[in-house]
Amino acid sequence: MAPIIRTVNLTKKFGSLVAVDHLNLEIEEGEIFGFLGPNGAGKTTTLLMLITVIKPTEGTAYVGPYDVTREPDKARTLIGMAFQEPKLLWVSTPWDVLDWHAKVCGLSSEERRKRVRWALEELGLWNERHKSIHGFSGGMRKRVEIAKILIQRPKIAIVDEPTAQIDIVGKHRIWNMIRTLRDEGSTIILATNELYEADVLSDRVAIIHKGKLLVCDAPKKLKDSILGGDVIEVVLEKEVPSKIVEELKAINRIVDVLAVKPNCLKIYLNQAEEVLPRITEFFMKVHMPVKSIQMSEPSLDDVFVHYTGLTIEEAQKR
Amino acid sequence: MISLRNVWIVAERDMRTFLRYKVLLIMRAIWFLAQIALFGLVVNKMLRPDVQDAVGGNYFHFYVAGIVITLLYSTAVFIGYDIFEEADHGVIEYLLSVPISRKELVLGRSIGGGLRSFIYVSPMMLFALYLIGISNPLQLLVAFASLFLFTFGVAGFSITLAVSIKSSDKFDILLGVVDALIVRLSTTLYPIAYMPDYYAALAKFNPLTFAADIFRWGAGIESALITSPWTAVLGIVLFFSMFTFLGIILHEKRIEGGGWQ
Repeated sequence: MAPIIRTVNLTKKFGSLVAVDHLNLEIEEGEIFGFLGPNGAGKTTTLLMLITVIKPTEGTAYVGPYDVTREPDKARTLIGMAFQEPKLLWVSTPWDVLDWHAKVCGLSSEERRKRVRWALEELGLWNERHKSIHGFSGGMRKRVEIAKILIQRPKIAIVDEPTAQIDIVGKHRIWNMIRTLRDEGSTIILATNELYEADVLSDRVAIIHKGKLLVCDAPKKLKDSILGGDVIEVVLEKEVPSKIVEELKAINRIVDVLAVKPNCLKIYLNQAEEVLPRITEFFMKVHMPVKSIQMSEPSLDDVFVHYTGLTIEEAQKR
Repeated sequence: MISLRNVWIVAERDMRTFLRYKVLLIMRAIWFLAQIALFGLVVNKMLRPDVQDAVGGNYFHFYVAGIVITLLYSTAVFIGYDIFEEADHGVIEYLLSVPISRKELVLGRSIGGGLRSFIYVSPMMLFALYLIGISNPLQLLVAFASLFLFTFGVAGFSITLAVSIKSSDKFDILLGVVDALIVRLSTTLYPIAYMPDYYAALAKFNPLTFAADIFRWGAGIESALITSPWTAVLGIVLFFSMFTFLGIILHEKRIEGGGWQ
């Protein structure tokens, strides 16, 4: 089956800055496709090109059968987007915003009323439906933005940082709604820098950094692809000198060591149970008291670190 | 192909948004009444009878018609400010992402920007007609149709300026200058015959001159100093066509890609 989204050397330059660099991606119909990367990685720019808000400098993308550079009007009939930053005028009310959105997406007046009411109730905004957005918190505005896509139910739904500024209860509610949207036939592109969110929702994940695609696969396969199937996180009582990190790397079966914080190391290794006693022994020998040790399986954080060489916090600072 | 349904949906949105600026709407109405009740009446008393005769017998009527057009212009131009407000809140990106064509979007905005201005000014227009009197309903209909196009043209002009400049500060300053010149170099406040030749040469081609004079003709003000109605209608049609067309082209070329200040 042909992919529902295909980018071909998709590139966007803003002056000398290359925001998206020859990106080649294929997204299958009906999947939740996680698009991961730190702020400034080029995620939103890519999505804005898919939705035809900005034009590519080079290359193109196909939304369904439509080339976004040649048939942008037709491409927009298949795709909808809930933006990272809510796009709302302060004088508007949630009802006005969503009712207009439903109207412009071609819904009949009866269907419009039904869906707008449903979305407002589901997102806990029904009582505020006629209040000006001016007085809304960031989380409430974000919920109005998400409601647009839930009402539109497009063939391809882009959700950019859908749960930013949303509390934990709201997050789970929105995740369930995204799953429902997919179950009802939409293909979902989930752009996020929350690795856990991508992990729990996505069928496949692409990691993008500095405008380039680093890797793209199912979360499980990505985690399995990291050398060293286990991860040990060691918190020490004092800062770890780089010399100690290098000595630690020399221990047999340790694949990689990363200083997450000055006193916290992430050790990627094989057969952790056997190596763990040697690690604790090593720290005692070098007079580095251990505060805590935790064993885990690799997460998407680890995948990100593996492919970029940076923690997501570090990548965001750069 | 342009879908009229989509054009109307965009226009309706702009009309609804406008109604939410309650303070602005009240202030503009107060301004209109103050201009008529204070400035219009006082200046009317100051003018010689021959001047009054030249402008159709009563300068106050001439002035009231002109001030309606000034109000029509200043409210239709407000769509440009809306565009900056939207750029500020990222709403432009949203509008570019919805399933309608760019042509439908800009046409809808021109029509919405114009129509909301026409609807808002209508009660003031009727009040002005009450003060002036109506002598020929058919003429008035022609005048209304022309003013309808005029407001769309002004909205298109404002959109053209906004998307060309992309800076709210520069737009504000430029519009202030344009406003000062376009109103004063027109027949909204005084007839061309009393202007120096070099001002008159410009005022003859000013869309506000066409709009003010067609409204006066529609209201039955008879004066040799008023632009011929057919010249005025032609001028307004040209103005409307030019700025709607320019608005569509520039909107498509310039609105994408950010750079809004």
